[in-house]
Amino acid sequence: MTKQQPLKTIPERFVVRPATLWFDRFMNYFITVGGLSIIIAVSLIFVFILLQVLPLFRGARVEPQGTFRVPGDDYVVMGTDEWSELPFFVNRRGELIFVDTVDPGGPDHRPPFTQTPAWLDEVEVSVVAYNAFRSQLLYGTSDGRFATVDVQYEATFPERGGREVSVQLRETPLMRISPAEVPVQRLAYGNSGNQAIVAAMQQVHDRYELHAVSLVQQRTLLGDGELSVDRSYDLSEHLDGKPEHLLVPSDADGVLIGMDDGRVSYLHFDGHEFHKRQMFVPFRDLDDRRIVSMDFLLGDVSLVFTASCGANRIFSLYRDPQRDARVWGHTKTFPDLERGASFYSAAMRNKAFLIGGGHIASLRYATTESVRWEEALPFWITHAALGPRYDRMLFLDDQYTLHCYRLNDPHPQAAWRTFFGRIQYEGQSAPEFAWQSTGGRDDFERKLSLVPLILGTLKGTFYAMIFALPIALLAAIYTSQFLRPEMKRFVKPVMEIMASLPSVVLGFLAALWLAPIISNAVPSVLLAMGAIIVAALVVGYLWGLLPQRIRVQLKPGYEFLAFVPVMLLVAYAGWQLGFVAERHWFVVEDPSTGLQIADFRLWFPYATGLGFEQRNAFVVGFVMGFAVIPIIFTITEDALSNVPEAFRSGSLALGASRWQTAIRIVLPTASAGIFSAIMIGLGRAVGETMIVVMATGNTPVTEFNPFTGMRTLSANIAVELPEAPYLGTLYRTLFLGALVLFLMTFLVNTVAEILRQRLREKYRAVE
Amino acid sequence: MNDKHDGTVAATGGASEIQQRRVQVAQRRKKIDNDASAQYIQVCDHSFFYGSAQVLFDLNMDIPERQVTALIGPSGCGKSTLLRNFNRMNDLIDGISHRGDILIDGRSIYDPYLEVISLRKRIGMVFQKSNPFPKSIYENIVYSLRVAGRNRRAELDETVERSLRAAALWDEVKDRLRETAFSLSGGQMQRLCIARAIANRPEILLMDEPCSALDPVATGKIEDLIHQLKEEYTIIIVTHNMQQAARVSDRTAFLYMGRLIEYDDTETIFTNPTEEQTEAYVSGRFG
Repeated sequence: MTKQQPLKTIPERFVVRPATLWFDRFMNYFITVGGLSIIIAVSLIFVFILLQVLPLFRGARVEPQGTFRVPGDDYVVMGTDEWSELPFFVNRRGELIFVDTVDPGGPDHRPPFTQTPAWLDEVEVSVVAYNAFRSQLLYGTSDGRFATVDVQYEATFPERGGREVSVQLRETPLMRISPAEVPVQRLAYGNSGNQAIVAAMQQVHDRYELHAVSLVQQRTLLGDGELSVDRSYDLSEHLDGKPEHLLVPSDADGVLIGMDDGRVSYLHFDGHEFHKRQMFVPFRDLDDRRIVSMDFLLGDVSLVFTASCGANRIFSLYRDPQRDARVWGHTKTFPDLERGASFYSAAMRNKAFLIGGGHIASLRYATTESVRWEEALPFWITHAALGPRYDRMLFLDDQYTLHCYRLNDPHPQAAWRTFFGRIQYEGQSAPEFAWQSTGGRDDFERKLSLVPLILGTLKGTFYAMIFALPIALLAAIYTSQFLRPEMKRFVKPVMEIMASLPSVVLGFLAALWLAPIISNAVPSVLLAMGAIIVAALVVGYLWGLLPQRIRVQLKPGYEFLAFVPVMLLVAYAGWQLGFVAERHWFVVEDPSTGLQIADFRLWFPYATGLGFEQRNAFVVGFVMGFAVIPIIFTITEDALSNVPEAFRSGSLALGASRWQTAIRIVLPTASAGIFSAIMIGLGRAVGETMIVVMATGNTPVTEFNPFTGMRTLSANIAVELPEAPYLGTLYRTLFLGALVLFLMTFLVNTVAEILRQRLREKYRAVE
Repeated sequence: MNDKHDGTVAATGGASEIQQRRVQVAQRRKKIDNDASAQYIQVCDHSFFYGSAQVLFDLNMDIPERQVTALIGPSGCGKSTLLRNFNRMNDLIDGISHRGDILIDGRSIYDPYLEVISLRKRIGMVFQKSNPFPKSIYENIVYSLRVAGRNRRAELDETVERSLRAAALWDEVKDRLRETAFSLSGGQMQRLCIARAIANRPEILLMDEPCSALDPVATGKIEDLIHQLKEEYTIIIVTHNMQQAARVSDRTAFLYMGRLIEYDDTETIFTNPTEEQTEAYVSGRFG
C-alpha cells in the first residue's frame, strides 16, 4: 500500500458541521422508520381484526375423550348432567343407572349405581320419556297412570378442589290420565308455569285412544306445591290412524301427533279446549312419507323430522298471513342422512342438534342449515346425548360402552349466510336479513345479518351526500371563483370552524332539537328547500333580464347582497306554505273517531305504507351533511384555488364569463382534487358514528325510506361492543362488521385513488 | 403623432386641480367623439392603484391602429399593468382603483354599461407564459367560440384552420388536432395561444412578454408572426428585450417608475431619444 498523499486542509468555511450531517442522517432514518411503522400499524390492525374474525368460520372440532363400561341392559333413555360427568340411562323397568365419567381409576371414582323413584316397586312401567331441557323424566304405567321424575343434579365444590356431582330424584305421585287401565304407549308433557298438559296414547283393544289432562299446581308462599289433575280431555276423535309420535311443547299450548302414514296433526289448546288447527305431511314429496323421528329443537317451536330414506327437515311454527294463525311450515332442509334417525339430542344453548343412526353421527345447526360435524364412528350407536354446555357428546354403543367426545364449537351459528344471506329465523314468515343481537328470553336466537347494517351505512351515507355534495361543491365554486377575496378571507375560516364541531354535539342537537322540529314540519322543510332551489334558478334568470343600468349597480362579487334577502324571503314563504299544504293535502282520517287529521307524520305511512319515525335518515342526512360539508368544501375550495391563475386569466381574456371559466376550465382542471374531496367526505360519512348513534334510533332496517332510521356498521359497533361477551360470537361478529367497514372504505379509497391519478394525469398542468 | 400631453405631473394637487383635470378629460373625450381621424386607442390621464400604492401616474398616449406598439421599461415600471388594463384583466385583483380613462375607438373601457366580456372578446391577449388549457389543440382554439355558444362544426373547423395558419402552426399540428395541447413544444404552445387569441377575430392583440420563456428559434418565429399579424390587428407588446422591441414595433413607449418617459416612433426612441433616461435604458446603461 502506497503512502497516502496528505490531504489539502479544507478551509473552515467549507467544513460541514458533524452535527448537521448527523442530524440530517438521523432525520432521514427517523422519517423512514416513522413512515414504515405507520404502514405496519395499519397492516397490524387489519391482521388483528382478521384474527378476531377467522374463528367464526371454523367448523366444530371433536376429539375422543374416553370410554366407560355401562352395565348391560335394555336402555330406553339416556341423559346427562350439565358437565357431562354423571350421565344416566333408564332401562325398560324404569330404573336409572348413573355412570361416573370422571377420573376413572381414581379414589373418588364411583362405580355405576342405580336410583329409582319411590313408587317404582308398586307399578309396572310401560313408557319412559325424557325432556332434557327440564331434566325431567316422564313415566307412564301399564295401568294408565303417569308421573314426572326430576333428575336433580347438584354440584358441590369441596375444599380440596374439583367438583363433585351428586344426584337426587324428585318424583310426583302417580296420576291417572285416562279411564282405561291399559298401558300408556306414548307420553308427552308440557308446562309453561301457567298451564301444564300431559298427553298419553294408549291402545284399547285395536283402537288407539288419546287422552290429555291439564294439571294445576298449588302455589303457596312456601313454594310450589304438588301437581294435581285439573281437567281431562278425550282427544281420540282426532286420531284416524296409528299414532307413532307424540309431542307437547313446553308452552303447553297444543299437542302434536305424528301418524304412521306420515301425517302430523296439530291440536291447539287455548287453556280450555283443544282445537284441530293443522294437518301437514312433512315428506309429502317423497315416496315413503313415513316419519322416523320427530323431535323439538330448543324453544319447542321447531320440529326436526327424519324420513326413512334419511331426509332431514325442519318445520317451524310461524304466522301464516293467509290464515292469521301460527301454523307449522317447512323452513329448513338438511343433507340426507343414511337412514332415518335412531337417536336425537338437541342442544340446550343454541339451535344445534345431534342426530344420526347406525355408525353415523351428525351435528347440525338448524338456523344455518349447516352440518357442523359428521362422522362415521367405529361403533354402532344406540343412544346419544349432547352436553348441556355444548361441550361434550356422549354415545352409547351396542356393546354397552359409553364413548365421551369433547366438542369445541364456540361459534355454531356463524356461517356465510348468517352474516350475508337471508335466513328464516324461527317465528318469521319468510327468510329475511335481520340483525337482532339480544332478546328477552334465554332461548332467544341472535340474528346476525350484516346486510341491514351495510345497507344502513349506505343509506346514511347516501342521504348525507345527497345533502352535502351539492351544497359543498357549489359553495366551494362560489367562494373560490365568484366571491370577493375580502369576503373569502372571512368565509373560509368560518367553514373550517364548522368542521371542528364535535360530532357528538351535532348528534345531540340532531336528536333532541332538530328531529322534533323537522318531524313536526316535514312539508315545510321540503317546501322551503325546494323553494330555495327554484328561486335560485328563477332569480338568476330574471337578473339576467334586468336592464344593464340596474345590474351595474352591484359590483361583481357582491351579487349575494341582492340574492340573500330574496332567498330568506322565499324560504320563509316555503316554510309557511308547508303548513298550508299539510292542512290541505296530507289529511288522514282517524279510524276510531272519524276525525280528519292533517299530519304528514300520519299521512306518509297511510299513503305509502312505509314507516315514519322522528329520528330518521332525513335528519341524519341533514346533520351528517353538516359534518361532511366543511371537509368537502375546504378541500374542493383549495383544489379550485390551486388551479393555475394562468388558466383562469386565459379563459377570461378570451371573453368567457366567470361561470363559463369555472365550469369549463377550473372545474375540470381541479377535478382530481374535487374527487378526493368527495371521497374524503364519503369516508367521513361512512365511518361517522356519533351522529348516527344519537340521531337514527338505530333500527336495523333494510329500506331506503328517508323517514325511517337505520343502523350503520360503525354505530352498531359502538352500541353493541360493550355488551358483547369477550371472544363470543357477537364479539367476533362485531369485528366482522369492522372488517366489512374496513374493506368498504379500502375499496372506495382504492378506486378513488386510481380515478384520481387518471384525472390528475389528464389535467396535469404543464410546468 | 406627437400628441404628447403633460401627463407626468404628479397627482398631488388639491380638489380644484382634480376638478380641473376632470374637465380636461371630458373635453378631450368630446373632441375625440367629434374627431373622425382620432387615434384608435387613447390613454387619457390614466392613473392606477393597487390599494393605496400608485403604480401608474397620469399616462397619456395614443396608439395607432394596425401597428405594433411596444411598451418597454425596467421591471416594475408598470408596463404589464398598463397592458392588462386595456382588457381590464386587473379587475380580478383585490383593492384596485384607477383614475383617468382609456378609450378604444372613442369609447371608455370603464363605461359601466360596457360588458367586460364583450370588451375581452374584442381584445385578444397572449400571456408571458404560454397557458394552453388542459384540452386538445382543437378545443383550445375553439374555446372562445364555444363560450359564445357557437358550436357549428363547420365554423369551428374553419376557425381552427384559419387561426392555426395565421399563427404559422397549421402545418405542424394539422394531423394531431385531437391531441392534448400539452404535447406541443414551448414555442408551439405559445403560437397555439396566439392562434387561440385570434380565433374570435379580435381587433387588438395584447402580448405580455410573449417570448420571454422561449429559445431564439421559437422567438424568431413569433416575431415573424407578429409582423404578419399587424396587417390585421393592432398589437401592443410588452417586452424586456430591447432588440425585440426594435425589431417588431412601429412605436415604442418607455415607462419608468409608473410614468411615461417617452413615446415615439421606434426608430426615434432607439436612435435619437429626447429623454436622457430613455437613452440610458435603450443603450443598456441601466434597467
